[in-house]
Amino acid sequence: MIATRSPIVQLGIRAASPIALVVAVFLFFAGHNRPGGGFSAGLVLGAVVALRTVAGMSRPIRAVPLLTAGGLLAGAVAFLPMLWGDPLLDQVVVERSIPVLGAVKTGTALAFDAGVTMIVVGLVVAVLDGLGADDLATGPDGGR
Amino acid sequence: MSGALIVTVAGLVGIGVYLITARSLSRIVLGFSMLGHAAVLGLLAAGGPAGAPPLAGAASDPSQPANPLPQALSLTAIVISFGLTLFLLALARRQNQITGDDLVEDDLEDRRIAAVDPGQRDYVEESAA
Amino acid sequence: MIGLLLALHLATCGLLAATGRELGRHGLLVAALPPSITTAWALTRIGADEPATATLGWVPGLDLELAFRVDGLALVMTLLVSGIGALVFLYAWGYFGSSAVGVGPFATALIAFSTAMLGLVWSDSVWSLFVFWELTSITSFLLIGHKHADAEVRAAARRALLITAAGGLVLLAGLVVLVDETGVSRLGEMGPISGGGAALVSILLMVAAATKSAQVPFHVWLPGAMAAPTPVSAYLHSATMVKAGVLLVAVGSPILADVAVWTSLGLIFGFGSMLWGAVGALRHRDAKLILAWGTISQLGLMIALLSIGSAKATFAAVSILFAHALFKAALFMVVGEVDVRTGTRDIGELSGLWRTMPLAFGVAVVSAASMAGIPPLLGFPAKEAAIEAVLGLTGAEAWLVGGGVVLGSILTVAYTARFVLGVFGPGPEPTPVHPPRPAMTAPSALLAMLSLAGFVAIGAVNPIVGPASVRIDPQAEVYDLLRWPGVTTAFLVSLAVVGSGLAAGLAAHRLGSGAPDPIGARSVDALIDGVVVGARRLTGRVQHGSLPVYMATMGATVAVVAAPFAWSIDGADIYRWDSPAQAVLAGLMLAAAAVAAVLTTRLGAALGLGAVGIGVAGLFVIQGAPDLALTQLLVETVVVVGFVIGLGHLTRRFPAVGQQWQAVRLVVAAAAAIGVAVALAGSGSSPVGQPPLEALTTQAVEDGGGNNIVNVILTDTRGLDTLGEIVVLVVVAIGVLALAASARPREAS
Repeated sequence: MIATRSPIVQLGIRAASPIALVVAVFLFFAGHNRPGGGFSAGLVLGAVVALRTVAGMSRPIRAVPLLTAGGLLAGAVAFLPMLWGDPLLDQVVVERSIPVLGAVKTGTALAFDAGVTMIVVGLVVAVLDGLGADDLATGPDGGR
Repeated sequence: MSGALIVTVAGLVGIGVYLITARSLSRIVLGFSMLGHAAVLGLLAAGGPAGAPPLAGAASDPSQPANPLPQALSLTAIVISFGLTLFLLALARRQNQITGDDLVEDDLEDRRIAAVDPGQRDYVEESAA
Repeated sequence: MIGLLLALHLATCGLLAATGRELGRHGLLVAALPPSITTAWALTRIGADEPATATLGWVPGLDLELAFRVDGLALVMTLLVSGIGALVFLYAWGYFGSSAVGVGPFATALIAFSTAMLGLVWSDSVWSLFVFWELTSITSFLLIGHKHADAEVRAAARRALLITAAGGLVLLAGLVVLVDETGVSRLGEMGPISGGGAALVSILLMVAAATKSAQVPFHVWLPGAMAAPTPVSAYLHSATMVKAGVLLVAVGSPILADVAVWTSLGLIFGFGSMLWGAVGALRHRDAKLILAWGTISQLGLMIALLSIGSAKATFAAVSILFAHALFKAALFMVVGEVDVRTGTRDIGELSGLWRTMPLAFGVAVVSAASMAGIPPLLGFPAKEAAIEAVLGLTGAEAWLVGGGVVLGSILTVAYTARFVLGVFGPGPEPTPVHPPRPAMTAPSALLAMLSLAGFVAIGAVNPIVGPASVRIDPQAEVYDLLRWPGVTTAFLVSLAVVGSGLAAGLAAHRLGSGAPDPIGARSVDALIDGVVVGARRLTGRVQHGSLPVYMATMGATVAVVAAPFAWSIDGADIYRWDSPAQAVLAGLMLAAAAVAAVLTTRLGAALGLGAVGIGVAGLFVIQGAPDLALTQLLVETVVVVGFVIGLGHLTRRFPAVGQQWQAVRLVVAAAAAIGVAVALAGSGSSPVGQPPLEALTTQAVEDGGGNNIVNVILTDTRGLDTLGEIVVLVVVAIGVLALAASARPREAS
């Protein structure tokens, strides 16, 4: 009943999806020098997924694999340094030049941020599942 | 400290408390959100006056930069209240599936404890049984 | 060696815990092994020049250690704990028939007590002393409650645990102050202290000792503890655990001897218990209770003697401590044997046992004579030393102290006589007796023989009690136990004591007596019941089960707690706004929040929530926090979408609320709002300094490798917090998925 199957809405969302993807990537890399970061990037992606769900469009990702991968990645960055005696979450800093963003000083923090992003997207997908968004997507009567 | 922020925080707390004393989980979710906003704004207000964004190297900005520490703390607070709100929403949804509503009933076990006559001396026997 | 012995005890404990049910009562024989080995070791330590020591690190960072030191005093206690312990295990093996149930756990608890008690008497560090002290209380509770099917037994066990464990807490408080006063945590290194702190230590330690050693008015748990099987009574409640309080007074004496409160409190507890305990022993008909009250009395005598503070009295106290353990354990064992073989312990029902149980009778007579201080038994020279010590006193209190000891001794002889006559004496009709149990008779006979041998070979006892007294008071070096002191004043007093005591005992036996009501125990039980009922009532009031009321209570608490901040508000530090835009935005946002709160449809409320979130993001921008603003906007988007998806299709309208509750909500909300405003304004009036911007900036660029200070703080400086944060998110996701999964089968059906 909330999900409007208006073609215009669907078209809008379809058009917005790649743009949001770009925004997310920008935010992801901008985080270290400008506002943004892994969490924000994840939320942008999550919002796109939520919109697609509401509009009854396909949702290409599942929660559990995302959460697992994100947790493993962030956990690895956090705990691996302890294996060779460095403190928890010790960083390795690398400096690279990337088009558009310019010089980006970064390091393992980026991998950690990637893990955060995956977890946030996974959480949003999980909430959409948990709140019964599938019922909405299949129609007012829940498809039953 | 900015008086406008103090009033804002107080107002949000008042509305938040009013909402979380409701029986409907939807309203409790709203109330928690308000309280979360109030906490973050309070933290920022306590951290010092407003200023330029705390970005190193942005020296061209003449005004004093804002205190970055409460901002970092606030980000964590926002994320945690985000998680809490989502979980409450899922709970409300589940409650709705079970009872067809999202009202919080009184805890039956607690009512039972409150109803027991405290004068009776059967607890020794109870614990032995 | 100390560590090895404790490890052996612990290993046996574990072995019995694992195999106790299969071994049954034979587990008791296994358990007798460690105490036997310990006794043998302790015997080799007699006359050693240096105390044996051992130290185990515990928490080195906090200076916590398990320090053990077996000096003369600890050696006496070791002989009692392990020597009598080994005999008690043998005795218990005979006490429980082959059909007895629950003996496996019993044996485990008993050897656990042995371990804890050894740890207690060996402790040099006050912290290990406290830990083992409490462990003995707990094992004592388990052992008293052995027959836990009986409500009376459970009440008795609970009473004992509450009193002794409460005493343990008092002990902890006393030890903390003691360590603070002396600056060291090892008892052996502490010097004398004085002053206000010392008086506090004195009161706390003396009260702790009184609870453990069942001194009036904390004695009420000990008669109840007689509900335990007799081996436990013989071991814990006469020979060892109740002596822990005496031990505490003994090790406290060198430190606190100069404190007036220590001495006077010890004398009050000691003499009060000595006399009241003796009266109790004269009133009861249950043979075990007679002995229990006698124990209270004897422990009182020891504490009184230690509190006098003279070297001679200290020496006498240690001698009595040693002699008492021998004869009292033997007497308990005899009573247990009588109980098992006749089925009763009531001296009104028993008769003619001196003929039917001759061996037990012999043991009882010898041990009782030692208790009464009659030669040729160890109790005699010990009692002589005590009387000599009080006769040697000068000053105003000498008469009082002397009179107290003499009166107590007379009463002791009297209840001893009444006990022997009552249990074994002739009567109208001999009580039927079951066949003998050698395993029960042998340990008690051995103990009785030791009482005798201690007198005959008194030269072997002096090297045991001598160093123990010297540990407490170096001047006690000159004293020895004497087999025959000659016709001194003390001897004449002793003679008179025995004579009048025997006469009084005979009279009491003739008179007979009913079982008196245990007044103290009843009031303790009433107190415990009152606490439990009160707790229930309170729980019923505060745990009412209504979530809204809980929430309102929290809101009201916020208002109350914030009130004191009103005094620190300084108007000069509060300005109107950072910028006019801030005020405008704040006003709009509050309006949106109010609308969201009063709107009666869920969809409207969700939109209001989104408006509030956007307003807050705007305020973040004004404050100079673009990161927060960005995050807030994105979070709000997802939350509003979630709200609409999850709850939008619910019944559109919120249910109505009662008028009265509505008023309460409004008042509490207003109070909380005012409270928070006050707290915020108060904290804003006391700035603690400028933020370290320079340092944070440098750190962000050089260590974190980024220009966004806020993000570098999050991922680098406070990285661990951020890790915790994503753990929260993962947990939320798991919770949400679990809730969804639990819904699925229901929908499928």
